[in-house]
Amino acid sequence: MGEKKNAFFTTAVIAAIILIFTAADLCRGDRLYSETENRLLAARPKASGETVFSGKFAEDYEAYVTDQFVSRDKWIGIKTRMDILLQKKEINGVYLAEDGYLIEQHLPEDYSEILAAKKTALLLELVREWDAAVMLVPTADNILTDKMPANAPCYDQAALLEQIAAQVGDRNYVDVYGSLKAHAQEDIYYRSDHHWTSLGAYYGYLAWAENRGETPYAYRTNAMTVVSEDFLGTLHSKTNLDRAGDTIRYFEGTEKRPVTVTYDFNRVTDTFYERSYLDTKNQYGFFLDDNHAFIQIDTSYRNGKTLFVIKDSYANSMVPLLTPHYERIYVVDLRYYNGRLSTLMKQMKPEGGMDVLVLYNCIHFLEEFEYM
Amino acid sequence: MVFSSVLFLFRFLPFFFIVYFLIPGRGKNVILFLGSLLFYAWGEPVYILLMLFSTLVDYVNGRLIGKFQGRSLAKVFLVLSVVINLFILCFFKYADFLIQTVNGLTGAGLPHLNLPLPIGISFYTFQTMSYTIDVYRGKAKMQRNILDFGVYVTMFPQLIAGPIVKYSDVERELHGRRVTIIGISHGTKRFVTGLAKKALLANMIGELWADISAMEFSGMSVLTSWIGVLAFAFQIYFDFSGYSDMAIGLGEIMGFHFPENFNYPYIASSVTDFWRRWHISLGSWFREYVYIPLGGNRKGLSRQLLNILAVWMLTGIWHGAGWNFLLWGLWFAFLLMMEKLFLGKVLSRLPGAIGMLYNALAVLLGWVLFALDTPAGIGGYLAAMFGFGGKLADSQGLYLLGEYFVLLVIAAVAATPLPGLLTKGLERAETGWGIALYRLGEKVIPALLLLLSIAVIVDGSFNPFLYFRF
Repeated sequence: MGEKKNAFFTTAVIAAIILIFTAADLCRGDRLYSETENRLLAARPKASGETVFSGKFAEDYEAYVTDQFVSRDKWIGIKTRMDILLQKKEINGVYLAEDGYLIEQHLPEDYSEILAAKKTALLLELVREWDAAVMLVPTADNILTDKMPANAPCYDQAALLEQIAAQVGDRNYVDVYGSLKAHAQEDIYYRSDHHWTSLGAYYGYLAWAENRGETPYAYRTNAMTVVSEDFLGTLHSKTNLDRAGDTIRYFEGTEKRPVTVTYDFNRVTDTFYERSYLDTKNQYGFFLDDNHAFIQIDTSYRNGKTLFVIKDSYANSMVPLLTPHYERIYVVDLRYYNGRLSTLMKQMKPEGGMDVLVLYNCIHFLEEFEYM
Repeated sequence: MVFSSVLFLFRFLPFFFIVYFLIPGRGKNVILFLGSLLFYAWGEPVYILLMLFSTLVDYVNGRLIGKFQGRSLAKVFLVLSVVINLFILCFFKYADFLIQTVNGLTGAGLPHLNLPLPIGISFYTFQTMSYTIDVYRGKAKMQRNILDFGVYVTMFPQLIAGPIVKYSDVERELHGRRVTIIGISHGTKRFVTGLAKKALLANMIGELWADISAMEFSGMSVLTSWIGVLAFAFQIYFDFSGYSDMAIGLGEIMGFHFPENFNYPYIASSVTDFWRRWHISLGSWFREYVYIPLGGNRKGLSRQLLNILAVWMLTGIWHGAGWNFLLWGLWFAFLLMMEKLFLGKVLSRLPGAIGMLYNALAVLLGWVLFALDTPAGIGGYLAAMFGFGGKLADSQGLYLLGEYFVLLVIAAVAATPLPGLLTKGLERAETGWGIALYRLGEKVIPALLLLLSIAVIVDGSFNPFLYFRF
C-alpha cells in the first residue's frame, strides 16, 4: 500500500506542475516587449495554407509560446541562478566581475581587423577634413582588468587605440585610455550598466582639455550631486540578479550659468538633465534626455566658439562638462540621424569655423561610426 | 515537435494524456494514433503522407506474407516490403549524397534533389522492416488490425529519436496494455529524468561544444580541444539517452515496455563492450537483421571480420548521409576487428581501468569524426588535440575549463552508475535515516528536476535537435 501511495504522490506532483503552468499559461496575456531582455517578443503568428505546409507556422508558433510563456522572466532568473551555482562567470554576455561589477563581454572574434581598418579609414577622412579631435573611450573590460574573471576573453581595445592614435596623430588623438587607466580604482564605470559614470566622464574631460590646451573648469569631484541611488542599468537587465543600485551623480557646475538645450530642432529646455527618467528603468536617460538625433546647446559663455560633437551615449554625461569652453555645441548621434553627416556639418559651420569632436566608446565606434 | 519544448510540455502533453485517459478501452489506440499524427505533422506537415504510405505498404505486405506463409510468394512480399522501405530511406536520405559523390568522382554535374530529410525516417523504416521480417520468420503474428499497426509505426514517444522498437517487443501491448499507478509513476519519473538529462546536462554542456566548434582550429590549444570533444561526448550521450528515457517513460505511462537503449556506455571496458551499451536498439537491429543473416561468427574468422566491416559501415551511414559518418563507422569497425583478432585478449589480461581509458580515447576520437563534417575540420581538430596546432594550454582553455569545470564533473559522475547505485543503496538501507533520505529524495527530486528543466527550456538560449540527420 505504501508503495502505491508514493507512486500516486510522485505522479500527482509532476502532473500538477504541468497542469498548473499549462492553465496559467493559457490565461496570461501576450506581451509585446521584454524589458529585461530588451527585445520584442514573438507574437502569435497567423496561419495560412502556405505557412502551415511549409512548416513556418509551426516554427513561429513554437517561438511564440516559448517567448510568451507564463512568468518567463522568473524562469530565466532560475536559469541564471543555476549558472551561478555552477560557478559560471559569464551570463548572457555579461561577466560577473569582482566588487559587484557587471561588465559587458566583447569577444575578440566579433571585431575583425577589417572592421577596425574600415572604421579607422572613415575616421581619418573626418580628421583630415575637419581637424577633428578623437576621443575613443575603452569599455570597462579593458580598464577594470583586475576585476575581470581570470583568463576571461576580451577584445583588446588598447591595441586598437594604439593603431588609431598612430594614424590620427598626437595633436588630434585624446588619450582617454591612459587617463581612465590611471583612475581604474575609482568609480569610473557603473556596476550595473555599460556606461561610464560622471566621474569617468570627468577624467575623459581632463584628457580632452590637456590635448586641446584648454584650462579645465574646476568641477568639484568631491561635491557631486546625487540624483539616484537605485539605478539598475542594462547589464543588470541582461542578468536580472539581485543587486544594490548604482548611484548617479552629476556636476552642478555644468549649469552654473544658464543654458538652452534644443532637441531635434523643436523641443527647447533650460537643462542638460531630465529628472523624469529617474522614475523609469532607463535612468541614464537623465543625461541629455536619453538619445536624440540632433541637439543644439547654447551656453552663456560668450566666446564665439562652436563645437560639433559626433557621438554615442557615452558622450551624454560628458558633453555638459564642455559648457564653459563653447558658446554653442552641436551634438549628433548617427544611430538616429538619417541625413548625410558632411552636409549637416557644412550647414552648421559658422563663418569663423568650428571645432569637431568624435566621442564614442571603442565598441560603439566600431559598430556605429559612419562618415559620408 | 520535440519533447524539450514549451509546446510539447504545456500544450501537447497535458491535452493528449487527459484525452487518452478519459477515453476507455480500445478508443485509446485511436487517440494515440491521432495524437501521434498531430505530433508528427506539427513539424512535418507534408511528410506525414510518406509515413502513412510506409505504414500502409507494410500493413498490406504483412497481411500478404501472413497469407502465403510457408510458400514462396511470402518471400516475394517480404522482398517487396524491404525494397520499398530501403528505397524510401535511400531516396530521401541518401540521394543527394550519392549525386554529390558521383559528381565529385566523374564531374557529371547532376542536379541535387534538395529534399529536406523527413524526421524520424530512419527509425520508422527500420521498425516496419522488423515487422515484415519477423512475420516472415514466424516470430511475430501478422497484424490484422490496421489501427494497431498504425499505432506501432507512428507512436509519438519513439517516433523521432528512438529507441527502435521491434514489432515483437510490443506485439501484445498494441492490443491490450495493463496500466497501473506504479507503472505510471515509474514512467513519469523516467520521463522527468530524461528531460533533465536533455535540458540540464546536454543543453548546458552542448553550449561549450558549440562555442569551441565555432572557433578557429589552427592554433587551438590542446586543452581547449580536449575540453571541446569531452563536451560533445557528454552532450550527445545525455541528449540521446535523455530522449530514450523520455520515450521509454512516456511509453510506460501508457503501459508499453520499450527496450532499453543505453547502459552507461562511457564506462565500457572495450569498444566491443561500448557497442553493447550505446544505442542498444540500433545495435540489436543490425545484429538480428544484418549481422546474423550474413553468417555472424559462424562462418569462420575472416567472414566474421567482413561482417563486422559491413555492419559498422551501415551503422555509420545510418547516422547521416555524409562521408564523416562512414569514416566514423569504419573507425569502429577497425577497432572491433582488432579486438576480435588480439586486442580483446590483451585487454582482458590488463587492469579494467586500462580498458576503460582505451575505450574512452577511441570513442572521443570517434566523436571528432562524427561531429565535424569536413576533412579540413576533422584534420584541424585532431591536429589541435595532439598538439600540432598551439600550446598545451592557453588562457582561452583555462577560462573555458573554469566556466564549465563544475558542470563537467557533474556530467562525468552522472554518466556512471554511481547515482543509480546510491539511490538503490538508500532504498535498501537498514538504517532509518537512509530510508528517510530516500523517501524525501523520491518526493522532491523529480519535481525539482522538472522545474529546473522548464527554466532551461523557457530560457531557450540553446536547445538544439541533434537527430535531424539520422
